Amino acid sequence: MAGTIIGSGLTVEGEVTSDEDVVVTGTVRGKLTVEGAVTIDAGAHVEADIAAGSLQVGGSVTGNVAAGDRVDILAGGRLVGDVKSSRLTIADGASFKGNVDMDV
Amino acid sequence: MTSLSSIGPTTSVRGNVHGDGDLEILGRVEGSVAVTGDVTIGEGALIQSDVRGRRVTVRGAVAGNVSGEEAVLLEAGARVVGDLGAPQIGIRPGALVRGNVSTGAPLPAASPGRAEAAAPARAHTPTPRAAPAPAATRRPAPAAAPPPRPAPAPRFAPAPRPAPVARPAPPPAPIAEARSTAAEPAPSVAPSVAPSIAEERAASAGGPPPPVVPAIRKGARAAVRKKGGR
Repeated sequence: MAGTIIGSGLTVEGEVTSDEDVVVTGTVRGKLTVEGAVTIDAGAHVEADIAAGSLQVGGSVTGNVAAGDRVDILAGGRLVGDVKSSRLTIADGASFKGNVDMDV
Repeated sequence: MTSLSSIGPTTSVRGNVHGDGDLEILGRVEGSVAVTGDVTIGEGALIQSDVRGRRVTVRGAVAGNVSGEEAVLLEAGARVVGDLGAPQIGIRPGALVRGNVSTGAPLPAASPGRAEAAAPARAHTPTPRAAPAPAATRRPAPAAAPPPRPAPAPRFAPAPRPAPVARPAPPPAPIAEARSTAAEPAPSVAPSVAPSIAEERAASAGGPPPPVVPAIRKGARAAVRKKGGR
């Protein structure tokens, strides 16, 4: 079981810190700092800066994003903000606005 | 769809958590928790705020009020410092509670009698006078404090009573002066300290406990005269 699930209908306003995987299907406003993988599911709404081991964006994210491993913006995903990650994929159908820093 | 939400054991949330659906908390939350569904606070969890839900089950620690629309259940190992309010409240053996417990209705949204209630109160009264007002209400509180003070006063009352008992002893004592010197210092110390405290308390309280204080003064004077005489 995933460590932390912020389900649909649930809203977290503030700072979320975790060492385990986090799945967001609801709403997060503030800051998300995670050691493990972060999954923003379709329908989720995140207005937060995200620092994670890896990040999958299927929903809507507004904020700067930094991942140690990789960032994947899935089809239907929406990301507005800067991305800092050594690997980045943007799927067909995803929307993205921001700068990319791949540590070149 | 109301889905299960979970805050894992290594996860900490600093802020508010609210919304629909059930919520399981195994980590830390510093901020209010308000959910329309059931809330389960697992072992090892620490909530430093109020918790509201339909049915709230607690196995961990909560420093704040716990309110349930239907029920609040404290399992063994639960530690709650705060008030409980719900139509049904269950406290299993092994659960610890410090606070008021009221069955019948969930706690009101702005919990009264707490520091958290003071903040909303100030918010509702935006005028700067609102800040002095609570201060003024707090000042009477110390004035209201004296009622407990008469309670300590009776504790000092037993102290002088030994003194009168000790006084009959000294009359024979002059016969055996060696014994009286050993016996007297002990009673003389107690009354001399006791009246000074009692007078201060009586002055601050406004109403002195009448019969006790004169008895102390008599004993004290007698002790002083005896000392002065020698």
